[in-house]
Amino acid sequence: MTAHRKWAALVCTLLVLLPWSLSDFWIFIAIEVLAFALYAMSFNLLLGFGGMLSFGHAAFFGVGAYSAAIFFKRSGLDVEWMFTLAPLVAMAVSAAMAGMIGFFSVRRSGIYFSMLTFAFQMLLFTVAMKASGLTGGDDGITGLKPPGTLGTPMGYYWYALAWCLPCVYLLHRLVHSPFGLTLRALKDDPMRVQYVGVHVRQHQWVAFVISAACAGLAGALFAFSTGNVFPSWLNWTASATPVVMAVLGGVQSFYGPAVGAAVYVVLEVMISGKTEYWPLAMGIIIVLLVLLMPTGLVGRLKKVDT
Amino acid sequence: MMEFFSQHFAWMLDPTVLARQTLAGVSNGMLLFLISAGLSLIFGVQRILNFAHGVLFMLGAFVAVSLSAQWGESGAMFAWVLLAATVVLALVGGLIEWGLLRRIYSAPHEFQLLITFALVFIMGDVVKLIWGNEDRSMTAPQALSGAAQTLGITFPNYRLFLIFTGVVVAVALWVLLHKTRWGIFIRAATNDRAMLGALGVNTRWLYTSVFALGSALSGLGGALAAPVVSVGPGLHVQIIIDAFVVVVIGGMGSVMGALVASLLVGVINAYGVLAFPGWSVVMTFVCMAVVLIVRPWGLFGSPE
Repeated sequence: MTAHRKWAALVCTLLVLLPWSLSDFWIFIAIEVLAFALYAMSFNLLLGFGGMLSFGHAAFFGVGAYSAAIFFKRSGLDVEWMFTLAPLVAMAVSAAMAGMIGFFSVRRSGIYFSMLTFAFQMLLFTVAMKASGLTGGDDGITGLKPPGTLGTPMGYYWYALAWCLPCVYLLHRLVHSPFGLTLRALKDDPMRVQYVGVHVRQHQWVAFVISAACAGLAGALFAFSTGNVFPSWLNWTASATPVVMAVLGGVQSFYGPAVGAAVYVVLEVMISGKTEYWPLAMGIIIVLLVLLMPTGLVGRLKKVDT
Repeated sequence: MMEFFSQHFAWMLDPTVLARQTLAGVSNGMLLFLISAGLSLIFGVQRILNFAHGVLFMLGAFVAVSLSAQWGESGAMFAWVLLAATVVLALVGGLIEWGLLRRIYSAPHEFQLLITFALVFIMGDVVKLIWGNEDRSMTAPQALSGAAQTLGITFPNYRLFLIFTGVVVAVALWVLLHKTRWGIFIRAATNDRAMLGALGVNTRWLYTSVFALGSALSGLGGALAAPVVSVGPGLHVQIIIDAFVVVVIGGMGSVMGALVASLLVGVINAYGVLAFPGWSVVMTFVCMAVVLIVRPWGLFGSPE
């Protein structure tokens, strides 16, 4: 455990020091990695630990981004309060939305759970497209760049890191808590866990809400970094992103999805800079990944270790 | 209440408008049936949710546009175009199953999902590489253009042709599934794949053929849709969502369910356009969510 803590302290220190070694462009990419790492880890709380394949996780990333953006545009607070509260608002709205969606979705398991979450995501996508008074419709919401120090790449990087690290720490604590162990047991054999007297749906619902809150935070952090929110973030092609990241890194490991997110974002930057056919490249990467490396990058490294 | 009704449903009192919307809904529903029947069969037999099914539909439309530009737009040639698109897509589907899908039948759900998503990305870009980014269009043959006049209602002939074709395909599928040995195998596989394999049926070949059949239906749907939609690289996005809604409502694995739900969704959309402009899609998603909550195996499916 102490070795683990030393590693964690080392990684945290490196993450804090990182922007001094990067150009502004790569700091921007690093911010994207932070947001998507949190997104992928929150997704993996459901898939890797709870065995629930959510097809609609992009809904909560999008809801977080939209609620932070609308809060930014409408609340009229001054900067300090704004950027203290906006991520919390995003988490709260995403969690509330997940509370409702989860209430129905956890009633079903397997493929039906996936389809239900998917249906709700498409519902929210339609709302984002059509409620243009609130969401800007097709054009989304633009002009979300924070002013002052926060608007500089370095300043925003530390701001995003200051939100991500505690969130990841809490997720880590959660996974290793009795609640997290119950969740893992549920993945392996829900029937037996139920015999022991565990309220299965309640546990799944709580995991669903927590996971959505983290995804909402990730969405808000990403929205302020790019300065925009678009309805395409909620579209069905977006539901694949967290799944790819988690599988790429390895769903059996807690940090795997973060590694997967980093690799995915960097690959996207490098490939889409060279060709407009990034989807084609990603499709081929996914096929190779699934056929050749089903345990993911981290799973692979662990295998080499032993 | 009355105000709500007169605001959103007053058009229903006009029999001409009501009949026109119903027929339009039914003809769109028939197109939807072609794509969702294949999606449903594939889910029933292979237990795979094929997100790439919409791209196959789009591919069928593009093949039809290109061929009709080559071969001309006469009625006889249109029949050949439809046939060719069906056959080409059957081959593409067979190839995809043989080369890719059969390797992941025992993999976890998330891998199957990722593979079909990967196919969406790959084929979507391949279509762009071959046909470019612009929208294309295709005109229906002379014999099918024009409109029929009945009881003061004008209805395009091509829409009637779509309904007719849908009925023919539905009947043909019924005969195939209930009167041929192949069809019996397909229905048996929907029930219990392991048992079918244990009885000595070559399930590998069966899976390939079912995927080819589903792709062929989707390709036919795309080719039939080509004259009434704008054929561009974004064509697959909406159609696959509608097809999913249909398959969930009708029951995954049931062709009958796909038919009924297609017509239902087609008509709901056609009414919704007038009742709640811009929001009709929401109604179909709400239908889907309600079915998943109340009766997750769908109207015509059977619980596992």
